[in-house]
Amino acid sequence: MAAMVGVRRAWKQRMAAWQRRWGTEVGLFLRQPLALIGLALIGVFGLMALAHPVLMATVWNRARFDPIVGYDASQTPHPHPPTPQHLLGTDGFGRDVLSQLLVGTRVSFGVGLIAAAVAVLLSVLLGGTAGYFGGWADAALMGVADVFVLMPPPVVLLIFGLLLRLNWPMVALSYGVLSGLGAQAVVVKSHTLVLRNRSFIEAARLAGGGHFHILRKHILPGLMPLLAAHAVFTVVGAVLTESLLSFFSRTTYYLSWGSMIWMGQQSFRWFTLEGQWHVILPPAFALMGFCSAFYLVGRALDEVFNPRLRRV
Amino acid sequence: MARFVLRRLVRGAVALLLFQTLIFALVQALPYDFSAFFIVSPSLRAFIREELGLDRPLWEQYARWMWGFVRLDLGRSFLYWPAPVSRVILSRLPRTLLLFLPAAVLAYLFGIWLGKEIAWRRGGMLEVGASLFSVAAYTSFAPWLGFVLLNVFGWYLRWLPYQRLVNPNVWFNAPVTVDRVLIGLLGTGGGLFAGGLGLWWATRRITDPLLRRAARIGGLTALGVAAWMGWNASGIGPLAADVLAHLVLPLGTVFLLSFGETMMTMRAAMLDSLREDYVLTARAKGLPGRVIRDRHVARNAILPVLARLALSLPFVLVGSLVVERVFMWHAMGQALFDAIEFQDIPVILGILSVVGVLVLLAHIVLDVLYAWLDPRVRYPRGE
Repeated sequence: MAAMVGVRRAWKQRMAAWQRRWGTEVGLFLRQPLALIGLALIGVFGLMALAHPVLMATVWNRARFDPIVGYDASQTPHPHPPTPQHLLGTDGFGRDVLSQLLVGTRVSFGVGLIAAAVAVLLSVLLGGTAGYFGGWADAALMGVADVFVLMPPPVVLLIFGLLLRLNWPMVALSYGVLSGLGAQAVVVKSHTLVLRNRSFIEAARLAGGGHFHILRKHILPGLMPLLAAHAVFTVVGAVLTESLLSFFSRTTYYLSWGSMIWMGQQSFRWFTLEGQWHVILPPAFALMGFCSAFYLVGRALDEVFNPRLRRV
Repeated sequence: MARFVLRRLVRGAVALLLFQTLIFALVQALPYDFSAFFIVSPSLRAFIREELGLDRPLWEQYARWMWGFVRLDLGRSFLYWPAPVSRVILSRLPRTLLLFLPAAVLAYLFGIWLGKEIAWRRGGMLEVGASLFSVAAYTSFAPWLGFVLLNVFGWYLRWLPYQRLVNPNVWFNAPVTVDRVLIGLLGTGGGLFAGGLGLWWATRRITDPLLRRAARIGGLTALGVAAWMGWNASGIGPLAADVLAHLVLPLGTVFLLSFGETMMTMRAAMLDSLREDYVLTARAKGLPGRVIRDRHVARNAILPVLARLALSLPFVLVGSLVVERVFMWHAMGQALFDAIEFQDIPVILGILSVVGVLVLLAHIVLDVLYAWLDPRVRYPRGE
């Protein structure tokens, strides 16, 4: 019993410490209307991604509403404009647009999160090590970064993604590697350099802290705000690049918003020139909303953690 | 300073050679064989491989590629055999530049101006509205945005011609090629830009604001009229007008895609330098707000925006390549997508190298500019 109380108290104290440490930042973040819009949008997209399996299991008939092989024979011709049964209509193959949209949300989240995680990990490993140790490590690692800076992820991925017909996890991984080893590593390195020359690092070293301890307890927390903002911008870039790839790869190896937009444009070109906007607008606005949401959150994070941007 | 530049150049050259090696290795790792495209007898296929140099050992191909690159020779295109890759790229360059350069310049100028305004009047509805609009434009999907503009302005409203570079009816029996007119237009645009800069430089010492503004507007009008009269006198004015009419939609698309980022960076940089002490000093001196904004704050805020510009250039380039594809603007984007479709490896390598060199140049220019403007960069710790 006593142990329980102790645990609860420790938890409370931890909360209080967290409040003291981050309370101002959270307050500043929540006071920005654009940040709230962004957060709300991300929440909506999260719900959309979760809704698909639930709807497929309960309401939707698998034969008609499957995002890839579904076909509704009761409503022709396809693409069919919205009806109560198909809230966003059907595409040229008779598949439900809403169902595809929800599955595409899952792909976008996957792409964004994988790319951001890989980029943050690599940029910290490369830039942090180079900035902290300096000397030969700096020269060698920044040589690597110099090379990767010359490979802007959208250009390189557009070429190699189309040649190799990469699927989305590979696109995300490559985007993360290219941006993490390139431009982001350079930024992380310069920030580590600034942090390393601060006096509290010297104090930690004099107190007998090892390199690993200093890196983990002092450098990494200092880098966190920068990494958070960069991660969010990586999500935007990766999702847009993946959409470009699935748009231009023409054949639908997997379903995502980009390939949906491509399908929609095909229906414009080859059937009639009017009345097919319901196929192309939902994925396009979803993509715009998704990326805008992450961009707005990233901008708000920047505004909170960069003390020079705070409101006077 | 010279030592700094030299060191930066050597580092850049080493990085460029490593980059060339890396892209060569990446392309070699592709599971492709160009000769497999042809349904021919094995002996003919072997002949094709020999002709293209694909039968040589890997190290020889690599040595040939690197040596060629050092001599600015990117090899020959498979698809347009035996045209050299440099000609395939260079012949399409004016068209890409005519789309990319004006769009980038306009987007940067507009982004800087709007960012300045919304940072100065922080917290109003203007800021929220401009931010939302620019973020939506920046994150919208390039092919889709082009498609919407094309449909709305080209198809439904029929205000502007859409798709392709020119209208064949206007160009029937034309005395000049399209590319010649494009180069002329590029020259005119460059001249107008340089003239505008020169005008700004020449009139900056005029103290009376009204007179200065009048001189600037009058000078710009004179430049514009001169350009217009020059094109009229050349006899190919209608052809140039046709090209420009076809340019509006793709240029607008690239512009919409790229001004948001500049605006956001400019806004953050403005807010950053608004906190400096010299702003307080300027206010205490009783300087008017416009002068503080334009001469004190904005001038210092430009530096990080320039840094951002170099980093975002490749993204703008990708945007314009994609937009070219949407509007059937036959240029570098077309060459790139054709090369991907037909596995024209030399052209792909060539375009990657050109992008790499451009990015490297942007970074070097930026670093040198920074070092020139800010002495702290020139002398790293301990020197």
